[in-house]
Amino acid sequence: MEGDVRMEIAFILNSSEVTVTVDGHRRLIDVLREQLGQTGTKEGCGEGECGSCTVIIDGRAVNSCLYPALEVEGKSVTTIEGLLGPKNELSIIQQAFVEQGAIQCGFCTPGMIMSAKALLDSNPNPSEEDIRDALLGNFCRCTGYVQIVEAVKEAAAQLKGKQ
Amino acid sequence: MNRFKYYKPRSLDEVWELKEKIPGSLFIAGGTDVIVGIKNNELRPQALISLRSIPELDDIEVDGGARIGALATISDIIQNPELRKDYPVLVEAAKSFGSVQIRNVATIGGNLCNCSPCADMALPLLVMEAKVRLQTTKKSREIPLNEFFKGPGESCLSPHEILTDILLDPLHKNAKTSFMKKGRVKMDLAVASVAVLLEMESKTCHKARIAAGSVAPVPLRLSKIETMFEGATLTKKDVTEAQRLAEDNVVPITDVRSTEEYRRQITGVLVKRALERALEWKET
Repeated sequence: MEGDVRMEIAFILNSSEVTVTVDGHRRLIDVLREQLGQTGTKEGCGEGECGSCTVIIDGRAVNSCLYPALEVEGKSVTTIEGLLGPKNELSIIQQAFVEQGAIQCGFCTPGMIMSAKALLDSNPNPSEEDIRDALLGNFCRCTGYVQIVEAVKEAAAQLKGKQ
Repeated sequence: MNRFKYYKPRSLDEVWELKEKIPGSLFIAGGTDVIVGIKNNELRPQALISLRSIPELDDIEVDGGARIGALATISDIIQNPELRKDYPVLVEAAKSFGSVQIRNVATIGGNLCNCSPCADMALPLLVMEAKVRLQTTKKSREIPLNEFFKGPGESCLSPHEILTDILLDPLHKNAKTSFMKKGRVKMDLAVASVAVLLEMESKTCHKARIAAGSVAPVPLRLSKIETMFEGATLTKKDVTEAQRLAEDNVVPITDVRSTEEYRRQITGVLVKRALERALEWKET
């Protein structure tokens, strides 16, 4: 049983093990941004509606604004920072967003890309309906969704070509 | 956000011990309602007691009937091949639930215990006459889900009681089911929703179970339609009559998501379409 105000937890963040002391009331997004300096993950609504805070935990996309930080103990978390290659090159999904013009202000983009990654990791051949369902919980308020869906299709095609 | 302590007990006994010890503590499952409630200052717990580390509370067993652990997530339900095959209406409702991110953490037990009149998972479970198992240190009881809901945000759970399992009998081989939901956009909470179960022998209906959401203080069974259908040879006229009865027997309110009038009307339409779909009739 645990539950002192502060607790030390260990988890995998973007393939590296991290240990961090966390207050019981902190959410995963607070710990990522404020304690671990991973500011790629954005907080939009803070209520699980907009998806800008999306990260992947053990293969599943989740809203980090609704995730109690203490619950990531022993789990594997991937954020947008974890997608870069060894020389900081963009991943295929990120590059596809750039090329398809799927970014305007960019605030929703990390969340969009994490949702797209969770989809493509589990379903390499998504239909347009699959893509739209996977991105249902990610709001973009400037560029619209057509280019974003195109970017995910493009990324899926490229990832397949690479195999 | 207000500060609170967070406990991760590893067994139900530890859960009850903590609950006894800490006044003002709340249980948390997936947290998609609890965390939002705390953020909006609607909930002010001293401590949260997480149910996520308790083994077996998220198991799904399908063997004739089904036992679904309260901590099973909505995604766990969608991805379970046996539930898809034996209880398709449950999976259909699960697919309409929020976004992928929410489905990945929100739990079926949490959805029921939140006691929202619009709880998506309640409707298929009501028409399949699910039971829920409620446990405290001292006793365990099983009650029909129909008796669980008492009002918006209110259930028959006593303060230390935990909903641990959802229990389903096998469906009759002639059971036909459907689920329909109307929201402003797909991931929204329902403006209205309907689930239907009909046991048919050729055109005669032996059993009818119809439930509607977001149209009363609790997810509601529409017993007048059920009584009218049972024993009847169903024709188009009966379905039109069911639509009218649905409009007359719901008690919706006007709120941010919709109006009383619209909810009444759309519930009638959803009942008609859900019946037509269950009966595999062409929609009119």
